Amino acid sequence: MDQQIVKSARLGEEMVRIKHRSGLNMLLCPMKGYSTAYATFTANVGSVDTGFKTQDDAEFVDVPEGIAHFLEHKMFENEEGDAFERYARTGASANAYTSFDKTAYLFACTGNFEQSLEILLDFVRRPYFTKESVQKEQGIIGQEIRMYDDDGDWRVQFNLLAALYHRHPVRIDIAGTVESISKIDHELLYRCYRTFYNLNNMVLCVAGNFDVDTVLKVADRVLKPDEKPVEIERRTVDEPDGVCKPLVEQKLSVATPLFEFGFKGRAGAPRENLKNQVLDELLADIIAGEASPLYRRMYDAGIINATFGSEIMAGRDYMCAIFSGESREPERVAREIKEEIARMKREGIDERMFELCRRATYGRYIGMYSRVESVAGLMAATYFAGVDDIYSLLDIVADATVEQLTERLETAFDETRSALSIVRPLDE
Amino acid sequence: MNDRFQRESIGDGVWFSSVTDPKFKHNRISANLLVGLESETASVNAALPFILRRGCRSCPDFTMLNQKLCELYGASLSCDVSKFGGYQVLELSIYGIDDRFTLDNAPLARECAALLCDVLLDPKLSDGAFDEQDTALERQQLVDTIEGQINDKRLYALTRCKSLMCAGEPIAVDKYGSIPDAKAITARSAAEAYRRVVETAQVELFFVGSGDPAEAKETFRKAFSGIRRSPAALEKVQTALRADRVREQTDEMDVAQSKLVMGFRTGEIKDRRAFGGMRMMVALFGGTPTSRLFTYVREKLSLCYYCAARFDRLTGLMFVDSGVEKQNGRKAYDEILRQLDCVRRGEFTDEELTATRLLMQTSLEAVGDSLSATEEWYLTQIVGGAQYSAKDESALLDEVTREDVIAAAGQVTLDTVYFLTGKEAE
Repeated sequence: MDQQIVKSARLGEEMVRIKHRSGLNMLLCPMKGYSTAYATFTANVGSVDTGFKTQDDAEFVDVPEGIAHFLEHKMFENEEGDAFERYARTGASANAYTSFDKTAYLFACTGNFEQSLEILLDFVRRPYFTKESVQKEQGIIGQEIRMYDDDGDWRVQFNLLAALYHRHPVRIDIAGTVESISKIDHELLYRCYRTFYNLNNMVLCVAGNFDVDTVLKVADRVLKPDEKPVEIERRTVDEPDGVCKPLVEQKLSVATPLFEFGFKGRAGAPRENLKNQVLDELLADIIAGEASPLYRRMYDAGIINATFGSEIMAGRDYMCAIFSGESREPERVAREIKEEIARMKREGIDERMFELCRRATYGRYIGMYSRVESVAGLMAATYFAGVDDIYSLLDIVADATVEQLTERLETAFDETRSALSIVRPLDE
Repeated sequence: MNDRFQRESIGDGVWFSSVTDPKFKHNRISANLLVGLESETASVNAALPFILRRGCRSCPDFTMLNQKLCELYGASLSCDVSKFGGYQVLELSIYGIDDRFTLDNAPLARECAALLCDVLLDPKLSDGAFDEQDTALERQQLVDTIEGQINDKRLYALTRCKSLMCAGEPIAVDKYGSIPDAKAITARSAAEAYRRVVETAQVELFFVGSGDPAEAKETFRKAFSGIRRSPAALEKVQTALRADRVREQTDEMDVAQSKLVMGFRTGEIKDRRAFGGMRMMVALFGGTPTSRLFTYVREKLSLCYYCAARFDRLTGLMFVDSGVEKQNGRKAYDEILRQLDCVRRGEFTDEELTATRLLMQTSLEAVGDSLSATEEWYLTQIVGGAQYSAKDESALLDEVTREDVIAAAGQVTLDTVYFLTGKEAE
């Protein structure tokens, strides 16, 4: 068993990284004084993984959109019943989610940690799919998809991604479509499971009120030793550099138009993406954060409100910067942002704004190390990005320079690779 | 475990509460002004936190104020208006990292407290009015917010059901008021409302975090000593204990998924034990992923994507809300009532009862891990006239029996059924 302690001088804290003999990677961060323990068991698969093979497969398999999310739903059930019923006996609050490139199973508890962890490590290792249970789930997920069809915030984001990307599957709803999930069957689910749910490719992250020995004890008991590693090859899509279309609009039952204005970035290796994500967040704050002259101009003109904000979305092989909110004049907001970026490119990044936003971002990142959920989330994110030190994100912020950001401004905020998505009220 | 919570009066109707715990890396300081919800004043009151957030005399410019917050390591200065039972709560809060984690040992907690105090009590007023532009902007934002409530169909349907159920009572008044009232706000009417609120509201100040609350307390004590206070007693919020008949209302809207909301009255709750029984009953019925509503209505019958029950401890109302296909609305309604009958007849297992208790205890024990949850917990306690800790309530649930749960279910009556449906197929 390989064990390594990672410390932060800035925070006076530490966590431990363990490679368990089963092959499972564990990141453990006990936090003194907390009542809650929060555990996530994460597979490196999400909605963008629509074509893949292992070293043992001759051919790539193309799977229906939404299968990772479907698999997540189905994992909770096996011959003996469902995992929620088992958690019910420990009092843990359990859940799971699928993102573009991850699937996480999690629980939070304030007692019975050992039993809850045992359930987590057990049920995610025991797939059980039948034709009937798959059919039933198609109905449930169909309702979930329909619920999101009415959700303006959700629609405006996926419409944007479909405008930014021509072919990359990040443009498709995480849950897929009613049509795509109708093509899912139990055999495809097993294939997906065997490919991605190998312990060597998964990570267990625990933060909060627990001790490391308990985790090791449960892992020793539940996980079979020495699982054979799987090498995964993912089908890459040939995604053009430019955007698919610069403007996309939809009408829905909303009061004020919603918009997302995005810049398609150029993704690098996962490690580089994570670092760039931190830098781009800082940069978006300088461009249009609450302390910026641009924010003030737009707020005073009444074209943005307090819902305005920015987000950097980065994953395994995609990256984009998004400004979003409600606005009566979304096109004008997009124009103002483009003009401000052009001005910054001409005149350079203001040193004082850089210092202010760096300080603010530093404070915000401290916040990510103080909640059990976000510590567990950070551990998983850094792990899959190939970053060993979860505390290094603070260093990226503390050590950021104007030169770095100037370079990012050119690549990540390129006006010729931007798109605007608008959801308008029905009566407009 | 009440040891970390402290509350003291620092002025006429002004209270300062603190919970300090060294595990935190932040401090959260907040000012909550409690007033009775009235349809005449709801809108203008609701605008106040947002107008105040635009700047104060020591930092009059909005951008300067936001830059000041950046200097304070990205401290966030938030404003909000919320509804606790029949009260409107106007909130301003500041949340920042503790002094220990700054790069230059800045006294952040002190500076945050001073800034919050200035924003609350030393606003930009001239000739008895707020700044015209600030007022105009926030008036429009408020109108947009009210109109925007329709975006979240689940919340919209729930709110609509509650206001139908308690028509004419403070509970039915929207926390933001109405669009015509919001449109009528002027720089002068807002300033008048501000003076009235600062003089008469019950003020609940909170400091939750790892720092020392003493300086913040002194800052506010001093500032409030300069205000002539005449606090108005908050009237106890009352609504009918039992439903006398079932009202039904259906609205049509352009939605793919319909929403069914059922409002219940839970009757008189005699003591703490009965309160614990009611909370557990609602959770067992529809508050957890192992509840009757989740298990039967959603999982076994696949009638709804979500179907949950919630209990409002301040009003004694219970709501069941669900997202359902239009043609399944009646079936879901019947099944929800059938499940309630099962609970009334005691047709649930001891395992269900234990599971409910454990899950509720998990969330109660977790309250102390979050600054905002801790604050919200104690504010709710104070509004409800108590000071129990979340851990006290967790212990209370240990005493609740199957009989308490059955008794609680027996006194629940259905009052209002609200159905938000899609228009006929086009």
